[in-house]
Amino acid sequence: MTVAAETGTRIGAEAPGGGPAIELSDVSRWYGNVVAVNEVSFALGPGVTGLLGPNGAGKSTLLHMMAGLLRPSHGDVRIHGRPTWRDPAIYREVGLVPERETVHPYLTGWQFALFNARLQQLPDPAGAAARALQTVDLADVQHRQIGTYSKGMRQRVKIAAALVHEPDVLLLDEPFNGMDPRQRLHMMELLRSMAAAGRTILFSSHILEEVERLADNVLVVYAGRLAASGDFREIRRLMTDRPHTFTVHSSDDRQLASRLVGNPSVFGVELGDGILTVRASEFAAFTMLLPRVARDAGITLFELRPTDESLESVFAYLVRR
Amino acid sequence: MNWTIIGVTLRGALGRRRTLLVALLAVVPVVIAGIIRVGGTTTSGTTLTAGLLDGLLVTTVLPLVALVFGTGVLGAELDDGTAVYLLVKPIERWRIVVSKATVAAGITMALVFPATLLAGLVVGAGRGGESIAVAFAIAVLPGSILYAVGFVALSVVTSRALIAGLLYVFIWEGLLAGLFAGTALLSVRQYVLSLARWLAGGDGRAITSSVEVQTAVVLAVIVLVVSVAIAIRRLASWEVRTVE
Repeated sequence: MTVAAETGTRIGAEAPGGGPAIELSDVSRWYGNVVAVNEVSFALGPGVTGLLGPNGAGKSTLLHMMAGLLRPSHGDVRIHGRPTWRDPAIYREVGLVPERETVHPYLTGWQFALFNARLQQLPDPAGAAARALQTVDLADVQHRQIGTYSKGMRQRVKIAAALVHEPDVLLLDEPFNGMDPRQRLHMMELLRSMAAAGRTILFSSHILEEVERLADNVLVVYAGRLAASGDFREIRRLMTDRPHTFTVHSSDDRQLASRLVGNPSVFGVELGDGILTVRASEFAAFTMLLPRVARDAGITLFELRPTDESLESVFAYLVRR
Repeated sequence: MNWTIIGVTLRGALGRRRTLLVALLAVVPVVIAGIIRVGGTTTSGTTLTAGLLDGLLVTTVLPLVALVFGTGVLGAELDDGTAVYLLVKPIERWRIVVSKATVAAGITMALVFPATLLAGLVVGAGRGGESIAVAFAIAVLPGSILYAVGFVALSVVTSRALIAGLLYVFIWEGLLAGLFAGTALLSVRQYVLSLARWLAGGDGRAITSSVEVQTAVVLAVIVLVVSVAIAIRRLASWEVRTVE
């Protein structure tokens, strides 16, 4: 487990050909004066890895560099040892599901899958297209134009297009956007089974629970930097170890503060401008402790509000460590 | 060339509403020719045919049709993101450019050639304008290729290809090429006029062109090769616009 942009992080086993399937060495990407990705290094092998970070963290930039659609400003991006930039031959081994929803609206799902299979120059494009559509559960609606598809169906037809050649490396940018819970579960099972078959799957998400359910390993990106990487449970523990901050409004904030400060799970209290701010070690424990303390002291609670539960604040905490 | 790309591009290009509007644009000169014919005129057949085909077809319809399809077949897909599905395939970039340019040039030729021939014959048949009509119809074929390929290249270079193309057609070719002799050397319109003048033989005197036919052919080949090379080179290093 690594934290705060340690270089040379390695996740997963070696790919079948030896060496990592995906390898980034000291990769940066900037747009003018704006640094989107800053000195990121890691190596990935088979398995499901989640690329986690708040919106604007640099996830899509990283995925696009891995997919050969963006040139790294500095550093090296390789898939199976080959640089991805300006090498169309890598797409025999790579599948990409872009975040943008746009798919040729005038084609049917079948025509789109077949188009992708033919461009992959597969020996049996029709068979491959049929299998891919079956896999994403779109066979029933394959002859409808994509323009008439729901958001979830469009997402799945994009995944079918990326799977059509059964790539060894699959890159997915926010793949669960627009899917209903049943489709989401189905897609998670599919990705897990692909990983079990020895494929390297990297998907981005800004939803912690999504990553928690699917990925064994995670890469946490924050403000363009690799904030943490490795086993998800380890990172999750770090996230829960951090103090949680709450604001409390009660009938007697001063007395409540004095009662709370003696409790070992409370790190600190601050009373100012009529607002009581409490820092506690555990979220759930504090929300159970507070009503008990208030009741014992005869204090009425009006409001309890966690102030820093956003993913951004969690990532900021990881980066500071 | 790649037939899968050609097939899907053709389907996308022909399925759009703008295709119908552009097809109507190609019909306009024929309608105008019919009105002129019915209305009657004292102008000679060769002069009238050359004037109509130069002023309307070569100056306006041909570049506009090529602009719509040239910028639409690849540039529009790069803008809306659908080109990504094409670019993440193990296909050499030159095949993509050539396939897309073939569709743009093919549709332009399919619309402009019959419109030119028909408009020319409606206004000039039986009045000595037949050879002018045929010469123009043949000359717009390489003209369609040149414009279409040039606009395909422009659409890979800039996301504002439509505006840049309009500026080229109406400012560079329409205004500057008439004022300064040097600018005519980089004018597809002048190449078309020059070829039509040469193809029409003796009747070609009715067609005004600023470039000799030999020069026009050499420059046209250079423009074509350079356009294709630019398009391939820019597409090979095209970068997706990341939404972060």
